[in-house]
Amino acid sequence: MNPALQNELLGRRDFLGRVGNGFGGLALAHLLGAAENRDAQPRALWKGGLHHPAKARRVIQLFMNGGASQMDLFDYKPELFRRHGQKFDPGTSERVEAATSAPGTVMKPPFEFKQHGQCGRWVSNLFPHIAGRVDDMAFLMALASKTNVHGPASYMMNTGFLAPGHPCLGSWISYGLGRLSDNLPTFVVLPDPRGLPYNQKGNFTAGFLPITHQGTAIHAHLPAPIANLAPAGAPKFISRESEREGLALLAQLNRAHAAAHPGQDQLESRIESYELAARLQLHAPEALDIANETLSTRNLYGLDDKITEDFGRRCLLARRLAERGVRFIQIWSGAGGPSKNWDNHSDIHTELPAMARATDKPIAGLLADLQARGLLEDTLVIWSTEFGRMPFTQGATGRDHNGGTSVAWLAGAGIKGGATFGESDPWSWKAADGKMYCYDLHATILHLLGVDHEQLTVRHNGIDRRLTDVHGEVVHPILA
Amino acid sequence: MTPSAQSIIALAFAAAVLFSSATPSIAATPTNWWSLAPLHRPTAPPLTLTESTWARTPIDSFIAAQLKAKRLSPSPEADRRTLIRRVYFDLIGLPPTPEEVAAFIADKNPKAYEALVDILLASPRHGERWARHWMDAVHYAESHGHDQDRIRPNAWPYRDYLIDSFNQDKPYTRFIQEQVAADALFPDEPQLIPALGLLAAGPWDESSLRDIREDTIDREIARYIDRDDIVATVMSTFTSSTVHCARCHDHKFDPISQRDYYNLQSVFAGVGRGNVSFEADPKAHRIRRDLLAQQAAIQQREKSLMDTLLAPALQAEVTEWEKNLAAHNSVVWTVLEPTTSQSAAGSTFTKQPDHSVLATGKRPEKDTYTLLAHSNLKGVTAVRLEVLADDNLPHKGPGRQDNGNLHLSEIQILAATRTRPNDLKPLAISMASADFDQAGWTIQHAIDGNPATAWGIYPQVGKSHQAIFELKETVAHDDGTLWSFVLEQQHGGGHLIGRPRISITTSPRPVRIPTIPDTIAQALAIPVAHRTDNHKRDLALHFLQEKVGKTLAALSAQQWVFVASGNFMPDGSHKPATTPRPVHILKRGDITKPGELAAPGGLSCITTIPARFDLPKPEDERSRRAAFAQWLSHPNHPLTWRSAVNRIWHHHFGRGLVDTPNDFGRMGGLPSHPELLDWLAVEFRDGGGSLKKIHRLIVTSAVYRQSSQHQVRASQSDAENRLLWRQNRTRLDAESLRDAVLQAAGRLDLRMGGPSDQQFAVSPGIHVTPNVDYNKFDWDSPAARRRSVYRFIFRTLPDPFMDALDCPDASLLTPVRAHSVNALQALALLNDAFILRQSEHLSARIATKAKSLEEQIVAACQLAFARTPDKSEIRMMSDYAAKHGLTNLCRLLLNSNEFLFLD
Repeated sequence: MNPALQNELLGRRDFLGRVGNGFGGLALAHLLGAAENRDAQPRALWKGGLHHPAKARRVIQLFMNGGASQMDLFDYKPELFRRHGQKFDPGTSERVEAATSAPGTVMKPPFEFKQHGQCGRWVSNLFPHIAGRVDDMAFLMALASKTNVHGPASYMMNTGFLAPGHPCLGSWISYGLGRLSDNLPTFVVLPDPRGLPYNQKGNFTAGFLPITHQGTAIHAHLPAPIANLAPAGAPKFISRESEREGLALLAQLNRAHAAAHPGQDQLESRIESYELAARLQLHAPEALDIANETLSTRNLYGLDDKITEDFGRRCLLARRLAERGVRFIQIWSGAGGPSKNWDNHSDIHTELPAMARATDKPIAGLLADLQARGLLEDTLVIWSTEFGRMPFTQGATGRDHNGGTSVAWLAGAGIKGGATFGESDPWSWKAADGKMYCYDLHATILHLLGVDHEQLTVRHNGIDRRLTDVHGEVVHPILA
Repeated sequence: MTPSAQSIIALAFAAAVLFSSATPSIAATPTNWWSLAPLHRPTAPPLTLTESTWARTPIDSFIAAQLKAKRLSPSPEADRRTLIRRVYFDLIGLPPTPEEVAAFIADKNPKAYEALVDILLASPRHGERWARHWMDAVHYAESHGHDQDRIRPNAWPYRDYLIDSFNQDKPYTRFIQEQVAADALFPDEPQLIPALGLLAAGPWDESSLRDIREDTIDREIARYIDRDDIVATVMSTFTSSTVHCARCHDHKFDPISQRDYYNLQSVFAGVGRGNVSFEADPKAHRIRRDLLAQQAAIQQREKSLMDTLLAPALQAEVTEWEKNLAAHNSVVWTVLEPTTSQSAAGSTFTKQPDHSVLATGKRPEKDTYTLLAHSNLKGVTAVRLEVLADDNLPHKGPGRQDNGNLHLSEIQILAATRTRPNDLKPLAISMASADFDQAGWTIQHAIDGNPATAWGIYPQVGKSHQAIFELKETVAHDDGTLWSFVLEQQHGGGHLIGRPRISITTSPRPVRIPTIPDTIAQALAIPVAHRTDNHKRDLALHFLQEKVGKTLAALSAQQWVFVASGNFMPDGSHKPATTPRPVHILKRGDITKPGELAAPGGLSCITTIPARFDLPKPEDERSRRAAFAQWLSHPNHPLTWRSAVNRIWHHHFGRGLVDTPNDFGRMGGLPSHPELLDWLAVEFRDGGGSLKKIHRLIVTSAVYRQSSQHQVRASQSDAENRLLWRQNRTRLDAESLRDAVLQAAGRLDLRMGGPSDQQFAVSPGIHVTPNVDYNKFDWDSPAARRRSVYRFIFRTLPDPFMDALDCPDASLLTPVRAHSVNALQALALLNDAFILRQSEHLSARIATKAKSLEEQIVAACQLAFARTPDKSEIRMMSDYAAKHGLTNLCRLLLNSNEFLFLD
């Protein structure tokens, strides 16, 4: 944001000073969409949780768009090395098929694996920095999907349903727990500058929940990272003074109108929404400005390297937003489409290392920084993807989609570092032991936030809808 | 929920009480649930003298009776300024102009309001307004949604169909039948085909239904999910029932079995979503239909046709045709047998008996094939490359890519005198043609010298193709020719030719892809006297085929519309089913646990109409939908008529008599005025299903015309105003607000219909989904000015301004819009380019209307609020405008509650 505009926004302090007496908790609660959901306010006796004490106050989710190849990163399978080049025969009656190609022969990961940390987690050499933090993480090694297609799979991992139209995890959390700050949105999405993910905004939709709970996209690389924060195109007729006096006049007109039309909360709420908007205008630019971060912090996130700079910046922004009260932050790695993401159909040798390298140091940096600042205590960090990939080749050296199993990890608030849950079969083709779906992951996340996934429901078109549909079990073995 | 006990029939009330104890196993049954009870017309309650002076329609009697029971009284009639603003937005979605307001206030006619209502109902704007409501209900948008959010350029005719239907006041029975089965029930009215857009309005998963492999379980899952969307759309919209809750198990609350649900799926088991051509003109339709029948007879060599082929009159026509066939130029090809076949990247070639070579073994990403051959022909004018289909190739080829495609980046043809093989010289190609070009991948790309472009054949996989390269110079070597054909395939991803074959010809130029098949060319080559009857028949058949084809082509172009139908334009592996697909009752909704087969049918809990359809030919896809449409629109259907009038009521009062318009089941709301609902339903049904009659009845009622002013006493006993002791105050919806801004600014363009206005810049995306940029739209362009109903709705990236105003996510059915209030909405109204630009237009407009600042402010308020501001308001506003300009003031007015809310 340019300095002139920032000054203009800072000029709003006077305005806020004058009308600022209207920021009662109740008024704000109303704007949070809480009016529809009075019972869902977090209760102090539950440490901010809704149904039981919360371990986590906020969540940072790192979503690897395209289907990160589990057996090339974390799911070490000696069998693949042994049977490299052979016809893939899992020896079961289940048909071997792939979504977009004819199944090829078994392909070993073209990367080196080593065990790391106290827990001895196998990690390939694509993630040297993440490998250094495995003792902070709990791994889900058998996370399956119900589809092998990007669109429905992305919907499933984000909203719990294959078909579009359902609220996503962040929206449910915003709806259920409300906001931690009056200055910033509750649910923020940091998309990859190369493009939105599959399903675009469908992945961060509020569905049938009030629009307030939709993810606010912050495009960190654009001159206007948040839509409409400042007048579009900065027209000449708007000045700092015209804004300040204009909002005062608008409030005056609206107050007079409300006085003549008693008995309608919405009129009052709208007056307050302009006050809240002014707060956002004041605080968002500061939250997004990393000028005051030290060189060592920047380097920790990899801002000194072109390859890691973008993802690093977004991880750093996530920490700043988390510090300032954003409750749910989702960072995307990879755009929709066939390339520049984790959808490595053509060549695992070249496509996967590029994605891994761009994210490895920033992710490790984020964990280290959160820990150093004490934020990891009550911040949950999740790394996940929409599905895994196949143990056999597509074409010469690619891998096709695999809903059969994938890997996700969690770290931070309430997580037992170094824990592992579930196991895939010897080829990492299907989940074998402790098979779970997004429902269980979502139930676990809500649980850590003090929410019982079965009790957070909204009636929509005849069904009491949940994030977890009619499924979901909290994965207790990975909890501290 | 505050159901009024006395108002609800006893059984229903008992059920509600049971429900409140939350035992999910106790389901409603056809005999104990209000919405399933047969329809009857209740008598309007008698009125006292005071009530009868208030009441204007039978509706008011029902309202008054329930108010009286709660010791409440209705509110007085709103003033005329309030009324005209209310009824304008309600019936046409636009504000009245200041002149219209003034005229109505001054009108002495006691029936002035009724006259106004008639004018509004007759206005074409009315259809635009109510079509938009319907589009919410059926989740209409103009792109697929999902990860391949492709634009549907032909979706809009459905929107125009809706607008036209509401404007015509189409009887509701017809309206239902057309949207579910226009093709089946009204085959001679092809202009109704766009009605089927209802079935295709929602999202469609292109990846799963078109692009992944056909034999995968994911494809089958996607088909069930796709039909689920169609079933849910139709049943929620027309019957307010939640059948989609019975996908995995019997409905937990309503008497809807899993079998019922899958029976409904099986109604749609023969349709797919796609583009369908249709004739807007029924006469042209009949001509086309006859021609298509002839074409089919030719293709299938129907006996009745074959018997006529030797008739002298027809043979005379054939002779005449042959005479005129000046350029029948039968090209004779000589197939070359390659002596060597080389691959630059390690493909393995196996020679085939037909002199083609089959590429096998490892499939490289990219490759260059070099085929060498000899010939003795002199005067070679052209080379033909055939890419042949083969069972060993994916999708039978002709390419080696997983989808059967190939990409020929460049072809080089080299030749030398046989005796001097080192003298191979590239030959110039003057012209290339192919029997099929993939969109954007034409054969010209194979001779453009640019290896980044290429020829492709997708989606026509599974069959052979050919390309012909005409040589600039004729090739003639006395000692025979050594040929080298270099096929560069540099696109990557294994887009390689699977089985190439090369031929050459000495036929005179031009040598192009033939329009005459080989067999016909051969027959023509035989002198007339030596032709057998079979030759003559072949020629006659070909002649007829060409004639019919030409006549068809000469007919006026058909229009396209995106619908769900049994016969859509195939798109890759997304093809119409020849007969309806089997639908199984899936145990727990699990694709891997198929149970019994379902059969097309309606809901068995509706006892007044047979739920099992008696279909003589169940394999006829259309007959399933026809029977279902009759079932849905049956006069004795207890849900259909109640559902429709409740939806109308919802839009007039901001809340339905049942406040869950898509759910009349146990999880839905109970009717606040059950008898009124039934009375309206019967009135509607028996009044010819005229929506306009019902609108008129409602908006001329006393209850509608009430003031919206708050009453402390009434709000204490009925805070939610369920009994309607006043009219509800509502916020303008996104479209009404946007249209009102345009009208106030003098920028509204009332041009109707046609393709939608894309209010964003669109550019190719990384993959299928295009890039859509709302910031790059010019708000002064013509596409900015039409009514919002003509806005292009892009499913996964909707307009953020409209989004902020609760314009619904078009991925879900939206019977009731939210009216949220939040900071991002305030920012959108303050800072969005649309509002800023229209503020400038509004201010320029009033600057020309009035001279003094005060007069200008009065004009602005009349445009925005339909009223004249008082002195103190003028003073406040003019102080501000004098300092900061009129445009800033206009922007504030467009942000004000008075502008946004309707009393």
